[in-house]
Amino acid sequence: MSDTSRTASFLRKSISRRSALKGLAATSAVMAGPGFVRYAQAQSSAPIKIGFQAHRTGIGASYGRWYERTTTAAVKAINDAGGINKRPVEIITEDDGTDAKRGPEVVEKFANQHKVDVVYGTLFSHVVIASSPAAGELKIPYYVVSEGHHVASTKMNRYVFQPGITDVKSQIQSTAPWIAANAGKKVTQIFPDFAFGHDHRDYLPPALKAQGAEVLAQIAIPPTETSFTKYFPQIPAGTEVIYHVMVGPAVLTFVKELGEFFGSNRPQLFGFIDSLEAVDINSPGLEFLDGSHFWEGSPRYAQVDDTEAQKAYRAAVGIDDNGAAAGDPKDVSTAAHMFGCWETLYVIKQAMEAAGYQGPQDRAKLVEATEALTEFPEGPEHPQGKKTFNGKIHQCFGSQNISKVEGGKLKVVHKTTIEDGLYEPEGDYTTQPL
Amino acid sequence: MRFAPSTILLFALAIPSPAFAHASDRGFVLLLPTGHYIVGGALAVAVSFAVLAFVPATALARIWLRRLKLFRLRYDTRILTSLVSFIVLAILVAAGFLGSRDPLSNPLPLTVWTLFWIGLTLACGVFGNVWRWVDPWYGVCRIIAWARGKAGSVPVVLPPPRTPPLKGEGDSETVTLPSPLRGGVRGGGKATPTIKDSTWSYLPAIIQFAAFAWFELVYPAPDDPYRLAWAVALYWLVNFIAMLIVGHDRWTRTGECFSVFFRIVSKLGLLQRTRDGHVSLGLPGAKLLGTASLPLSGVLFVLLALGSVSFDGLMRTFWWLGTIGVNPLEFPGRSAVIAANTLGLAGTVALLAAAFILCVWLGEKLSGAPVGLTRACGLLVWSIVPIALAYHAAHYLVALLVNGQYALVALSDPFSRGWNLFGTADNYVSAGLVMGPQSAWVLWNLQAGAIVLGHVMAVMIAHLIAARLYPRSPTLSQTPLTLLMIGYTIFGLWLLSTPTGA
Repeated sequence: MSDTSRTASFLRKSISRRSALKGLAATSAVMAGPGFVRYAQAQSSAPIKIGFQAHRTGIGASYGRWYERTTTAAVKAINDAGGINKRPVEIITEDDGTDAKRGPEVVEKFANQHKVDVVYGTLFSHVVIASSPAAGELKIPYYVVSEGHHVASTKMNRYVFQPGITDVKSQIQSTAPWIAANAGKKVTQIFPDFAFGHDHRDYLPPALKAQGAEVLAQIAIPPTETSFTKYFPQIPAGTEVIYHVMVGPAVLTFVKELGEFFGSNRPQLFGFIDSLEAVDINSPGLEFLDGSHFWEGSPRYAQVDDTEAQKAYRAAVGIDDNGAAAGDPKDVSTAAHMFGCWETLYVIKQAMEAAGYQGPQDRAKLVEATEALTEFPEGPEHPQGKKTFNGKIHQCFGSQNISKVEGGKLKVVHKTTIEDGLYEPEGDYTTQPL
Repeated sequence: MRFAPSTILLFALAIPSPAFAHASDRGFVLLLPTGHYIVGGALAVAVSFAVLAFVPATALARIWLRRLKLFRLRYDTRILTSLVSFIVLAILVAAGFLGSRDPLSNPLPLTVWTLFWIGLTLACGVFGNVWRWVDPWYGVCRIIAWARGKAGSVPVVLPPPRTPPLKGEGDSETVTLPSPLRGGVRGGGKATPTIKDSTWSYLPAIIQFAAFAWFELVYPAPDDPYRLAWAVALYWLVNFIAMLIVGHDRWTRTGECFSVFFRIVSKLGLLQRTRDGHVSLGLPGAKLLGTASLPLSGVLFVLLALGSVSFDGLMRTFWWLGTIGVNPLEFPGRSAVIAANTLGLAGTVALLAAAFILCVWLGEKLSGAPVGLTRACGLLVWSIVPIALAYHAAHYLVALLVNGQYALVALSDPFSRGWNLFGTADNYVSAGLVMGPQSAWVLWNLQAGAIVLGHVMAVMIAHLIAARLYPRSPTLSQTPLTLLMIGYTIFGLWLLSTPTGA
């Protein structure tokens, strides 16, 4: 089944979707052969089916591509090591079009038509929020990789988990101590005037205040704005740090105009890499960012002190030292987020093994087993770093990276502690009936 | 089970959440001096018009109509290629039902949307009517006709087999038109149409193309392999039944919308095959010069084709999303904009049609010797064809480059069984091909070049048609239509340079 040419291509280039598929096809072929009573007598040899709710089309497609690559790489690694409970893992991909209405349809299809064991992999918040009621009603565990605070807010339901990526509230809060201690204590925020920007507008000021710093001004930019110079005079004179989280196609214009406005005499800049995820940091117009800092979930560029686990993860997913697809240097990955797919799949594995999961009848046991998890040590299964898990709010907590743009690369200069990102739970899913 | 979408959406809006609006390659285009390109493009079209005013139409036509004989292709393999196409289509539909659920791994959506809709359109526009050879009904219809004939009944499905067409690739009105400046206007030259087009004969094609455009641009899941398989199978069957009733030739002439669309687009193609099999090479658009007047429904069909591609660009712009009250950085998905985009699609086509007819009407008034609005529209609409092809090329270039690679991979393993039929299954799909500032610059220049070139060609064709229609005032009569084309150049370049969000 594993011819050398394919292995070579796997090592040389990126993981192929088919490496996993081929393995499965062979397994099925053997099982379907003469004398084999397919799964009937051996439930435990049937594949574990994971429904991958993927943004293959629509606004999330560029992220979806990397979520798909990471998922394929993780499943290959899991299957190469014997699968889950000694059963191979099969990924069934359904495109949701990054569409809130199609989200629940896909969940329903996974549960009733494909009869998957769990649903996994959703990124965009509006799809997560729209799909969660379906997962709850169908009582199918739903592991999202969204970064949103919606799971931890306990406004979803007992079947919805986010165990492989930290939430935005925790991320923002984690950065405050470093900003106050290193960048400056007088901060002006520039953010797009909608939910994403509002998270930063709402979570940062109290976190900075706790560090003895303050937000001088909050400049909300209309989402359809494409020219920004007119907003810059609103930046107060005493500003030591500009905290910027602009997103969308006009980001490059924003940075360029900010550079033209300030010239060489600029305040410190701190941003979230979400603004430039999958965009080459050396793109024209971005020169102004040199020396500025960014939050990164997982570092885009290989670091000198990368762990063996991090190196192995990067090789398996197929990204080079610059965080681009191996052999395709212009295809910059969504490194800050996609590691969450890898880690979530290993959490599913861990929970299924803890629950002794056999099939859909064990879904409630799987929910409880996931809730019982408390810690994920750093290692091949969690290459981004150690994490804790709060079973009551179904959310993991981990350290964040603060990286400096230096010599055309992002160099990690600080790792926050897990404690930096902890906050009081806003509810308790475990009190809900299963 | 039921979910209340409105409740879910309200909830979604109420919870603060991260968004991942990708900076995207449009961001690089925003940094380019696109405003200069827009002005330059508009000027290029205007200057072309001004220069043409001093060029005698006859001389221009003589040069344009020159053809280089290449070779003689005696054999007609249409039946064979059509049958192969039918079998491939059947396999693809089966793959849609049974293959991967992932639209980028399943060959059906990739073939339909990328290879067929983008690729084949461009192939027809560049070379000629390739579609005639791969039409998946022809072979089956011929077999049925042959079987009926053999059974002793009259072969009603098709006219008796004959050596393949025909200058103009089956368009009976274009059979012979050696000089575009004589005869073509009043009755289509020496040819005697075997099938007479009436005012509304293209209505079935209009209805089918409108449905197709709606499915492509507005329906929430046109890429879903399973749903697309149903749509394709149904489309094939409905049109097959129609062909059984009225005959393949007649139905592909005005009923089956892709036969109509590809035939019209292929008028731009460089290659032409005559009745006796001689293949010749000509200048792009030369075949348009000799075409006869389209009936009103044919005119509307061409405008529908251009209008739908235009709306495909428009519906992704910040401007449109802002107009319909959607945050482009937080696009909720197609499901949320079905009504707005249905109206937008219909509105774009209606607006374009109204603008075109108004300009032709004004031209009639200015000409001093009107030939009738229907006839004038029916001929001048041919000048819209290069614009439609230019829009098609410009708007779908990126999709063709990336999804074309996915298609090659998927076709080697149509059922996701680990096959490698054509040795392309392990190809690496390079998304980086279209990424980064250099690619953005190259792509933008190609796109802008296509748009400007399309409009310049449109002005030239309109000029020659006007010389036939209004020999006394070709330039003055064309001023309104030229202004529309300049406007459409600006619109087209703006579409490609303005920020997009969906």
